[in-house]
Amino acid sequence: MEFVNTRKLQLQQQLQPPQQQQQHFHVLAVDDSVIDRKLLERLLRGSSCKVTCVDSGDKALKYLGLVDDLDDTTSSVSLETSSSSSPPPQPLEQEGIKVNLIMTDYCMPGMSGYDLLKRVKGSSWKDVPVVIMSSENVPSRISMCLEEGAEEFLLKPLQLSDLDKLQPYFVKSLDNTCENEPANSSIDSDNDDNVIIINNNSISKRKAISPEPHHERSRPKMKELAVV
Amino acid sequence: MDGIVQLQRQLVDYNASLFHEGFLDDQFNQLQQLQDESNPDFVVEVVTLFFEDADRLLNELTKALGQPSIDFKRLDAHVHQLKGSSSSIGAQRVHRVCISFRNSCEEQNVEGCLKNLQQVKHEYSLVKSKLETLFRMEQQVLAAGGSVSR
Repeated sequence: MEFVNTRKLQLQQQLQPPQQQQQHFHVLAVDDSVIDRKLLERLLRGSSCKVTCVDSGDKALKYLGLVDDLDDTTSSVSLETSSSSSPPPQPLEQEGIKVNLIMTDYCMPGMSGYDLLKRVKGSSWKDVPVVIMSSENVPSRISMCLEEGAEEFLLKPLQLSDLDKLQPYFVKSLDNTCENEPANSSIDSDNDDNVIIINNNSISKRKAISPEPHHERSRPKMKELAVV
Repeated sequence: MDGIVQLQRQLVDYNASLFHEGFLDDQFNQLQQLQDESNPDFVVEVVTLFFEDADRLLNELTKALGQPSIDFKRLDAHVHQLKGSSSSIGAQRVHRVCISFRNSCEEQNVEGCLKNLQQVKHEYSLVKSKLETLFRMEQQVLAAGGSVSR
């Protein structure tokens, strides 16, 4: 059944023009400030992303299906369930929810962005890049987040130029389907680099304090992918 | 036609003055740049959210400082929120007062906090009134058939 679903997805994506496929890039935005959520939503929608906003880390976890309800297996119908100690089902197909990027505020009442980061990185969503945002430029905080697996640390307030830092992540990740698929649907032609389809975990880490250009991106290990 | 041109000129001048006088900073420019045909009311929408948020927070701050035993952590949390939202819309003077306010909270300085609260209320009411004037002027230009381009 999983094969059927992904095959259908492939066909759908082939029929759609590249721009429309870009619209399927889905960002989960987590911020307790309504103003910042609005700003983030506008910035991301302007880059043709689909955005889901939640106002807390708890809601983010609920959305991702990571709440500590052990009996939360009703959704895993057509999935290959993992063996061993029943970790949560593959998030990519859990109830059709797919998240390509998580952007979270650091300072939030209740669960902080850092706590959320840890939870995500310790779950089956660990391959999804997480970007932390903060109004405070605290080097130790930044290192802590990067060490815990955050891909980026952005200073607030967010601006149009911050989208440049996020461009590499906006390449549509086809994940399981990309091995058999020609690399025709997710090329970011705005980049000077030869950008290719990248796995979620082959993105280099960058710090907010040193704005260097993105030429240190590692290439995926799959040979079938074409380089444009 | 002259009427529109004059209105537009007044609008541009007024807009510029808000930046000159430090009420607004570059972040407000960012908001203006995000307004386009698909998001024609973006600035007003965001600013409205800010007004609502600020009203709520100032209420909370007033209440918190009126308590017999002041919870500085809670106070600081509210100020932090106001600091963040004012920064996000470019309300520079409000943002600056919030920074001092946070220092007062950290020092658990009641007098300082009371003074800062007064200052932030003052700055907020100023920028609110300025922004409302700005939006009104924009409406006038639009109503007269002119355009408000960024």
